Amino acid sequence: MNETGNHMQLKVNGKEHEVEVEEDMPLLWVLRDELGITGPKYGCGITACGACTVHIDGMAIRSCSMPVGDVFGEVTTIEGLGTPDALHAVQAAWIEHQVAQCGYCQSGQIMAAAAFLEVNPDPDDEAIDRALSANLCRCGTYVRVREAVKTAAAKLRGV
Amino acid sequence: MKKLIFALTGLTAFIVVHALAEEEEAPLAPLEAGSVSQEDGLANWAKIHEVFSHPRCANCHVDDSGIPMWSGPSYGKTRPHGMFISGGETRIGIEFVQCGTCHGRENSPTPHGPPGNEVWLLAPAEMQWFDKSSQEICEQIKDPERNGGRTILEVAEHVSHDPLVHWGWDPGPGREAAPYSAAETTDSILKWQAAGAPCPSAE
Repeated sequence: MNETGNHMQLKVNGKEHEVEVEEDMPLLWVLRDELGITGPKYGCGITACGACTVHIDGMAIRSCSMPVGDVFGEVTTIEGLGTPDALHAVQAAWIEHQVAQCGYCQSGQIMAAAAFLEVNPDPDDEAIDRALSANLCRCGTYVRVREAVKTAAAKLRGV
Repeated sequence: MKKLIFALTGLTAFIVVHALAEEEEAPLAPLEAGSVSQEDGLANWAKIHEVFSHPRCANCHVDDSGIPMWSGPSYGKTRPHGMFISGGETRIGIEFVQCGTCHGRENSPTPHGPPGNEVWLLAPAEMQWFDKSSQEICEQIKDPERNGGRTILEVAEHVSHDPLVHWGWDPGPGREAAPYSAAETTDSILKWQAAGAPCPSAE
């Protein structure tokens, strides 16, 4: 991200944006209120629930607590992970397993799972739980989350 | 896996830069050997132990399970970090969820928000001293195999200069800071060294 005063350039989902915001504004506010990208959700505001998870250069980040001035690379949100015609393997697995119930936390769950599978392509149950237990789902979809992650992992490995 | 390697390479580069940043600080000079009595040396170790065993320090000096600890007024008895977190072998959680996913560059100003620093990671597993006695930690601090490959003077420099160590005295709202200060603790280490680095008897 480049910045001059409060004028900042931010690359989100492959597109360059210019915003006039304070550098300590949380990235989530910039995405939702300034850019109209509403896939990332506000949940707790203190990184404790994961609903706001996005990627920065592929790394999962809680956007509710990262000041936009600290953004160190390209941001990807759920809107940029796949397309309706070419879903990311995790998105496809989420549909296959009908993971979502109310759905509020699911964009964060999917973004966390996608980042996790990039570095751990063949995870066991414990690794999945360790990777995703910080993404809370009050509907209790955790069993389906685990199965969907396994399905996505297999697809990404070409199995 | 390429990203894992990339991330590790990035971490290594950071640690090198971090180390160079430490080297830029004025080097410490050891006190003359024998200039501090054995009794005063043990008294200084007691202060060092207060710091090293304090939750702000010891909670991240954990074993190879990579599970950091939580403690403080909000948590009651010390317990494992919530959310089933593990720093893994990388000690920064790359295998699962990276520490940096939640821990930013600065302490969250919000109560119960995550603490942060320029770098956030667990100490190497061989430097585990969580739950060890004063005598055990004392012997460990003198052992380069279990103190990060440092001489005692380098341990003092680490305490004096390392930003993550310094976080222990600036841990953000709702967390008790480690006792004394980085400067006082460094001074205690130098005096302890000058006394011959005596350790207390086993408890």
